Amino acid sequence: MSQLGTKKAEVDLPVRTKYEESRRQKTGVFFKKKVGWLFIIVSVIAITIFNFYPMVQAFLLSFQSGMGANLEYVGLDNWRRLFGDPTFIAALTNTTIYLLIQVPLMIVLALFFSVLLNDPKLKFKSFFRIAIFLPCVTSLVAYSVVFKYLFGIDGIVNQFLINFGFIPQTINFLADPFWAKVVIILAITWRWTGYNMIFYLAALQNVDKSIYEAAKIDGASSFQQFFQITVPMLKPIILFTSITSTIGTLQIFDEIVNITNGGPGNATISISQYIYNLSFEYTPDFGYASTVSYVIVILVVILSIIQFRVAGEKK
Amino acid sequence: MKKFNLMFLAAASMAALAACSSGDEEASGGSGSEGSADVDEITAWAWDPAFNIAALEDAKEAYNGDGDYEVNIIENAQDDIIQKLNTGLSSGTTNGMPNIVLIEDYRAQSFLQAYPDAFHPLTDVIDSEDFADYKIATTSFDGEQYGLPFDSGVAALYVRTDYLEEAGYSVEDVTDITWQEYIEIGKDVKEATGKNMLTLDPNDLAQVRMMIQTNGSWYVEEDGSTPNIAGNETLEKGFETYKEMMDADIAKIVSDWSQFVGAFNSGDVASVPTGNWITPSVKQAADQSGKWAVVPMPRLDMEGAVNASNLGGSSWYVLNVDGKEQAADFLLNTFGSNPDLYQTLVKDIGALGTYSPAAEGDAYAVEDEFFGGQQLITDLSTWTDKIPAVNYGLHTYAIEDILVTGMQDYLNGAELDTVLENVQGQAEAQLK
Repeated sequence: MSQLGTKKAEVDLPVRTKYEESRRQKTGVFFKKKVGWLFIIVSVIAITIFNFYPMVQAFLLSFQSGMGANLEYVGLDNWRRLFGDPTFIAALTNTTIYLLIQVPLMIVLALFFSVLLNDPKLKFKSFFRIAIFLPCVTSLVAYSVVFKYLFGIDGIVNQFLINFGFIPQTINFLADPFWAKVVIILAITWRWTGYNMIFYLAALQNVDKSIYEAAKIDGASSFQQFFQITVPMLKPIILFTSITSTIGTLQIFDEIVNITNGGPGNATISISQYIYNLSFEYTPDFGYASTVSYVIVILVVILSIIQFRVAGEKK
Repeated sequence: MKKFNLMFLAAASMAALAACSSGDEEASGGSGSEGSADVDEITAWAWDPAFNIAALEDAKEAYNGDGDYEVNIIENAQDDIIQKLNTGLSSGTTNGMPNIVLIEDYRAQSFLQAYPDAFHPLTDVIDSEDFADYKIATTSFDGEQYGLPFDSGVAALYVRTDYLEEAGYSVEDVTDITWQEYIEIGKDVKEATGKNMLTLDPNDLAQVRMMIQTNGSWYVEEDGSTPNIAGNETLEKGFETYKEMMDADIAKIVSDWSQFVGAFNSGDVASVPTGNWITPSVKQAADQSGKWAVVPMPRLDMEGAVNASNLGGSSWYVLNVDGKEQAADFLLNTFGSNPDLYQTLVKDIGALGTYSPAAEGDAYAVEDEFFGGQQLITDLSTWTDKIPAVNYGLHTYAIEDILVTGMQDYLNGAELDTVLENVQGQAEAQLK
């Protein structure tokens, strides 16, 4: 009845009123939109001031150079300097090594653990979950210091390896360019695997069990189930975790500073530590330091695009 | 419509930004201006509660001027102080900056040159004749004296007399020696006792720094900024000596401070060549009392090298903010002119200043039982006066980070000349 009524009324309306009606509706929409904007305006202003404004300033800063407060514009000099700077190249190489080895290692481990822990027949499930997640609640500095002592020359790892006869004499892990990198990678993996595992566990709960049942009936092995069902179903989460882990690894700082302080030589220095050194350890050159910072920005953007292309939906 | 909203947002954020920056200007205009506002409280920053903070407390007690203000002592980690100064001074606001701050000597020039107007000159306040020469060189810039020299970083060789005896040496045998003689003794000590002669941290070239200062040389030239690496004979000698120590297998390798302290506290090494500020740490091992002696630092085997060097040490600076007159007055009437304060510092906290008139005081002559009755403070302050003055310049830590990599290459068999030329090239490229 009422539907019919409205329809009738609309038809009966004169053209002018109809136009006014539509205008009124439009202003209503605009009013609603404005209210929406008002709700977010506080955070928009805050983000503009505390994120975008510094980003623009840092970008401008990356074209300046000089000691402390005596900065002046030098055009592209900082960028030129970047490519001839052996410390920067060492930092970039190290960071890339961490990235290439650590991120895949951690993602695979996290996936592996999450599938194991998702097994309905598993006992003491929450105990294992907590045990694997627990590293992530530790403070970055605290766990780094613990790792440093574990792998020290008189540390428990060396004692263990010696006592069980795996090695003839102690390895000075932190003074050896290769082993120092290994320790860093082990440390980050220990710290962050549980964190990523939680994402996979949550995603696994949402995978319909009937898919697995159907696969079982069709005679799919566990491996086939994992690669044909689990991995494709978790694809968006895998993409998300690999992007966040990539960004995290590119910015790695605390572990390096506390475990090896970049040493031996520059064997473990990361880009972030180099930025810190340029700003605070050496005579400060904030201009060049922000150029190096922008390298991280550029890398994150490029790597994220690649990851989206490789793993994301093809649209 | 969308456009309008975006513009509205942009305008709003612009307004907010403008409000922020004008607020800043007001604030800095208020506190950074000339003229002496009367403040009734000044703030001082330092980092070690057992050392320089304690020294400030003592200074507050000993203040004998007629200023009427409160001194507020704040403890910050040294790294935090460096960060806060850098961020504060480079942003141009002086809000939250202290009046008095302690800065490590190796970093002093970089602060003085990076922030030219940020520090208040003390040229007319203190008499630089009263302080050790080498401290004045590092704390002044452009003909003005900015720092009030605080602790002496005079380096010394701490030796275990019992280990030496076992190897057939006396304290005289290690007094005023060269590093080469030291290495020979080290080999004998290792043979007789099985103990290493010293600890080395391949990531920290403090050892090399101390060596080259015995011959009045540094990583940079007199001007404080040109890298002086390739063709620097003293540095070459330092590198060679370092390698000899490694090759002689008389060094225990450590990788951090606690391992370093642990090594001599547990009796694993027969000597510790380092700054005199290590004394309290050596004394921690009370059971080793009487087994230690302190002798002058070994010198490089070169013409002109002396048996005195330095490691670390810091000085007080007054920032150019409201209250600088009061801050200068406080420093003058404490560390700048009060020999009695220095006696207290020695007695209470074992802090050895560089104020020459203080050396005549009683506390300096006390015999230290831990070191077999040696008049340690008197000895150290005698050596302080012999330290060759060098300009630490701007880039000590930047160059050292490059040198550490060079040292690794050299120890792994690379040619010394090539290594140092590489370092020189890198340093020149980096320190533009």
